[in-house]
Amino acid sequence: MIFNSEISAQQQHTTSPVVTGGSVIALVYNGGVVIGTDTLCSYGSMAEFKNVEKIAQVSKNTIYVSSGEFSDFQQVVKELAKIDRQALQYDDGVHPSPRDYGNYLARLSYKKRCKINPLYLQNVIAGFHNGERYLALVDIYGTYLESNFVTTGFASYFCKAIISNYWNENCTLEQAKQVIKECFKVLFCRDCRAHDVIQIAYVDEQGTHIEQPERVETKWDFNGFKTRANEKLHTQ
Amino acid sequence: MNYTDILSSKFEPETTGTTIMAVIYDGGLIIGADSRTSSGQFVADRCADKIDYVHDRIFCLRSGSAADTQIIAKYVRYYIDAHAQELGRLPAVATAANLFRNFLYEYKDSLSAAIIVAGWDPYKGPQIFTLPLGGSVIEQKWSIGGSGSTFIWGFCDSNYKENMTLQEARAFVLHAVAHAMYRDGSSGGIIRLLNVTKDKIEREFIDYKDVPVK
Repeated sequence: MIFNSEISAQQQHTTSPVVTGGSVIALVYNGGVVIGTDTLCSYGSMAEFKNVEKIAQVSKNTIYVSSGEFSDFQQVVKELAKIDRQALQYDDGVHPSPRDYGNYLARLSYKKRCKINPLYLQNVIAGFHNGERYLALVDIYGTYLESNFVTTGFASYFCKAIISNYWNENCTLEQAKQVIKECFKVLFCRDCRAHDVIQIAYVDEQGTHIEQPERVETKWDFNGFKTRANEKLHTQ
Repeated sequence: MNYTDILSSKFEPETTGTTIMAVIYDGGLIIGADSRTSSGQFVADRCADKIDYVHDRIFCLRSGSAADTQIIAKYVRYYIDAHAQELGRLPAVATAANLFRNFLYEYKDSLSAAIIVAGWDPYKGPQIFTLPLGGSVIEQKWSIGGSGSTFIWGFCDSNYKENMTLQEARAFVLHAVAHAMYRDGSSGGIIRLLNVTKDKIEREFIDYKDVPVK
């Protein structure tokens, strides 16, 4: 029996994304790593899926979020879960560390990039292992970068300035969360594909904590906004 | 999408990816619009006023290329001003609609503009003219336009009634625009409403926190 997929020359998966997730911002703080993302998946320009929880807990001390094609994100979550299960076969009690997940994802992304069939994602892996904070970005090509702060998507344009002015790597959890919320306020105002309901998660010594989604407050009632009116321009 | 798409050579023109709406009620008409002007994925203006002045009781709602619609509205505003001076009385809404139509029709291959002309005149009362992309003119009792309008056809078709009161029409426009903004990524921000009657023009600013659906 011949199936259609075998007839076509190559199977194309994600050459252009269909359902996309928004920006991700991750910061290191004095006790761990905190990640924020919004809860929207867009279908092109349509805000089709609201209240999507996009933060995946990959293991007891690792969390994974990405922006880009949502189906690829879900596939990667499955692939990362496989690693832990396979590690059980060695029966030595050793679990993959956050860096192991990051490295695996980088190799997987690079392999798919070489076959011109990429995982259409900017990936962020955050973890806390042996007293050390871990944060890495893996991009669509498989580029692997460990860093103290990471932004994807539109946040890379708008939020780096906010982060460098108000954050440092030894700040408290509350300070880091506040910086993330400020960043998402700006994104909601200036990114068409952003939503104002965000979700924050952090990893520390005790493990991963994923918080409930919350709405950020944005200000729209400036006097200039209210009194701006085209008839004033043309009748004075 | 990766960074190179944003920085690529494809220059995204600034458009009013938008939600615009006008509804006639018993005694006047209500105009509503969102406040987002987008340039690709970037919000260029988050508090725009899309309700453009043509004459004292004639307004136009612009969708499509911001540059195209702004310049056409500027010409029509000028022509209507001269015409009203010569006439010595308020111009007809149909006249303004026809002037817009001349631009959209003659230059249909170069322009990306769809306009709703809404206003009140002493000859026929409140009127709405929809001018879609090709330059046709269609008179309607209510009209929606812009990218966000696709999401609210069902809502509007089932909730529109003839001869609504001011309060009913205002609530209809407010909820329709809010629903469109809820789903359309190119619409958002605050809602601007305008009530046009024989005696006056009343503007209303609906702050983001008072938008009924978000």
